Amino acid sequence: MAAKAARAQVGVRRIVAALHWQRPAERSLLDIADLAREMQAELLALFIEDLDLLHLAALPFAAQIGAASATRHALDAAALEQLMRARAAELRSALEQASGGTLRWSFRIARGSPARLLAAAGAEDAPTLLLPAGADIAAAAHPIVLGELTEALLAPLLARRQPVLVRPGAAGGAARRATGR
Amino acid sequence: MDIRASEPGTALTLAQLRRSCDPAALGFRTTAELADLEDGLGQSRAGAAIEFGTGMRAQGYNLFAMGPEGSGRHTLVMRDLRARAASLEAPADWCYVFNFDTPHKPRALRLPAGKAAALKASLERLIEDLRAALPAAFESDEYRNRHRQIEAELAARQERAVGEIGERARAQGIALVHTPSGFGFGPLGKETVMAPEEFQALPDAEQKRYEELVARFQEELATVLQEMPRWRREALDRVRQLNREVAGTAIGSLMAELELEYRPLPPVHEHLKKLQQDLLDHAELFRATKDGEAPSVFGLPLPSPDADESPLRRYAVNLLIGHAAASGAPVVYEDHPNHDGLVGRIEHISRMGALVTDFTLIKAGALHRANGGYLVLDALKVLSEPYAWEALKRALRSREIHTQSLAQAVGWLSTISLEPEPIPLDVKVVLIGERRLYYLLHAYDPEFAELFKVIADFEDDVPRENGDLRHARVIAALARKEGLRPLDAAAVARVIDRQCREAGDTAKLSASMQSLADLLRESDYWARSAGREVIGAADVGSALEAQDRRRDRVRSRLLEDLVNGARLVDTAGARVGQVNGLAVLQLGDFTFGTPHRITARARLGGAGVVDIERESGLGGPLHSKGVLILAGFLSGRYAASRPLSLSATLVFEQSYGGVEGDSASSAELYALLSALSGAPLAQRFAVTGSVNQHGDIQPIGGVNEKIEGFFDLCRARGLDAAGDPPGVIIPAANMRNLMLREDVVEAVAQGRFAVHAVRTVDEGIALLTGLPAETVNARVEAKIAELAERARSFAGVGKKPWQPKPPARK
Repeated sequence: MAAKAARAQVGVRRIVAALHWQRPAERSLLDIADLAREMQAELLALFIEDLDLLHLAALPFAAQIGAASATRHALDAAALEQLMRARAAELRSALEQASGGTLRWSFRIARGSPARLLAAAGAEDAPTLLLPAGADIAAAAHPIVLGELTEALLAPLLARRQPVLVRPGAAGGAARRATGR
Repeated sequence: MDIRASEPGTALTLAQLRRSCDPAALGFRTTAELADLEDGLGQSRAGAAIEFGTGMRAQGYNLFAMGPEGSGRHTLVMRDLRARAASLEAPADWCYVFNFDTPHKPRALRLPAGKAAALKASLERLIEDLRAALPAAFESDEYRNRHRQIEAELAARQERAVGEIGERARAQGIALVHTPSGFGFGPLGKETVMAPEEFQALPDAEQKRYEELVARFQEELATVLQEMPRWRREALDRVRQLNREVAGTAIGSLMAELELEYRPLPPVHEHLKKLQQDLLDHAELFRATKDGEAPSVFGLPLPSPDADESPLRRYAVNLLIGHAAASGAPVVYEDHPNHDGLVGRIEHISRMGALVTDFTLIKAGALHRANGGYLVLDALKVLSEPYAWEALKRALRSREIHTQSLAQAVGWLSTISLEPEPIPLDVKVVLIGERRLYYLLHAYDPEFAELFKVIADFEDDVPRENGDLRHARVIAALARKEGLRPLDAAAVARVIDRQCREAGDTAKLSASMQSLADLLRESDYWARSAGREVIGAADVGSALEAQDRRRDRVRSRLLEDLVNGARLVDTAGARVGQVNGLAVLQLGDFTFGTPHRITARARLGGAGVVDIERESGLGGPLHSKGVLILAGFLSGRYAASRPLSLSATLVFEQSYGGVEGDSASSAELYALLSALSGAPLAQRFAVTGSVNQHGDIQPIGGVNEKIEGFFDLCRARGLDAAGDPPGVIIPAANMRNLMLREDVVEAVAQGRFAVHAVRTVDEGIALLTGLPAETVNARVEAKIAELAERARSFAGVGKKPWQPKPPARK
């Protein structure tokens, strides 16, 4: 509750849900949609296609080791693309149903580095809350100034599924504002 | 009353026709004054056999109580068994419990009477307590932290193992990538895995190096991943050990008291020890789970100990048989003794479209319930149920109860089912059935004689004694038991008369308690209808009349045919070669007599006496035998030294069904003697009795019904006091069977009807012809001699006289 109050105080106008093919994202996306409705923020569902995986699948010796079977299987690029499109369609459909006409939302499929994509989709003139799928939406957000957002900074946060509050501004002074100094 | 045979050829006295019970001699006003008769209705032979059979505990001394239906077999057997059982100790309780070593073979536990229910309740309470105590233990901070630690250590171990490979790969320019099914390795570009075009641009040697590196890391990762199930299993073992530690304290403290209580019963104590061990092994079953979720560790469902919805059922007690400690030995009557009803059954419940079972679904059979006591069964019912007889014999032979389904018993079922531990059997079985069944079983089942060594043979009738007072007490007890009104002395006398008539012997009373109870109930109905508080003789009379009226449609129709002349039977005048015979018909439980015309014709010939009934296939073997016997009498008396050159025919006129029995053989003989002698027979008589080759008249059955049958016809045609009255000639040996209707006796008293008893053919023929027997015999002899002479004269024409052959010369 404290985190939610803090966000309201900050004046979050946009929430970006970072969705990934790999994670159990539906339930999380619906929770994020509820939060956006509650905060009267716009929701951007950003389905990030995994560039590493796509590149790997396109290589001539592409293969995967099964986590359960510990055996080597071929990795088919076309099948992988199809899988990702299907996952994106499922999530979009789930969000459409959950919006109920009372939520401003958009759904975008993007490919590439999450940091760059999120930077592009993130705040310019108002704080943006970045919520990775599976994140605890009640947890305190890690503040980052937009100008300082890098892949190296963002990757571990996304891996830990930690909420990130992106404030507008260039590197340096904005960071200080975000931390309250 | 002294019954003596009357003088030959004379009519019987009134006292000889009916031996009525004298109400005044009974010495009470109503049956309300009479005490119950403790030892029942004179079945002393059966009573002694039951006493011996129930007291004899050796193997094979089971009882077969045989006798006619309704003779009080059930009542006497149950009463005697209950009396003996009450003095015996209550047998042990039995229950089935889960077999922790071999789950499909439930264990049978024996406990002292009344203790099994306590064990069941104790274990139910234990499980209930554990349902609260164990989840609390598993929710404790200590357990959660230690469990979380095990989970975390496993996760860290897995992540570390994969992460180490990933780091080493990255150090050599290879990225570890998550794929839909696991992991993959690819050459690392600036930030991501190299795009295909970037990789293609590399020199061949560089491409090959990357491929080799990728292959190597794939192998390494595969090796690590192969280890992971073992790590998971190790973690699972640690969780189990943790569960045992946490649960051990809770279980141990709750079971301590139980162990102490059942230490004197080693089998129960052993079961409790195994149960405790199993509880420790499966403590997680008690953990509170979210709705619809099975208990799991690391997301893996825990193995369920069986396919049951509630795995805790394995700790239950199936109380098969429980006795109150002071209840005595059981006496069980099984009304539906089919296979499962005897040896018990294993029920199934449907789950997910499959039929499943466990030890809690084993149900007791009659043998279980009667174990340690007595089991009473109807023999016919046991024999009628498929495989029930075999199951009963198997149990008695092996002295064990094997509970298994019928399909298992006959080998139709090959799927796995339960094999409950057999329960030792100590039971006395009393089979109740008809004599016919006993003799059939004895003849055709070799095991029967070994298993049922004691016969309790119930009498069809009992002797009249003590002025019928004893029987009056039986009637009084029965009326009280049935909740009927008391009977006054006259009503009791009327009932006793009826019982005497049913016995067919003036010195005996019928032992059929069923017909007696029916008569009392129906008499009570008529008394109630008349608004009387005490059943009177009139009510008994009404009941008897109503009984007869309900059943006598056929008799009425036959009488109607006789009266209107459709069936020819004369009751007046005289005629040569014609006599009135008497037949008895039994339709269900209603028996009545009716007269038949019997005729005989005789002429020269060599065919002897021809029985037309036999020739036409309508005569039964006994009837044919009777005719052959009378032919033997004829030859022996009248043609001992000359050939019988006679062709005589005998027939039951207007008989279109079968004729059986030899009770008409005397009548047939009279008709034949009349035909031969030319002496007409008086048609006012009807005759019954069989005859032997010496001309003695022998007793027959149904004498009362036969006399009444002819009486009814004569009455319908008009009984006249003037002249010789119509009557019936019966064998003198049947005089003791006479218990005629009151209206018949009254007609005899008024001289309108008569009953004659004869001992020989000569007595009978004298009555029928009105001539001395010697005269008739002389005429018969002369006729036969004449026929023989004529036959000889026919045979001698054109032939030389017969001479012996001379001896052959050597």
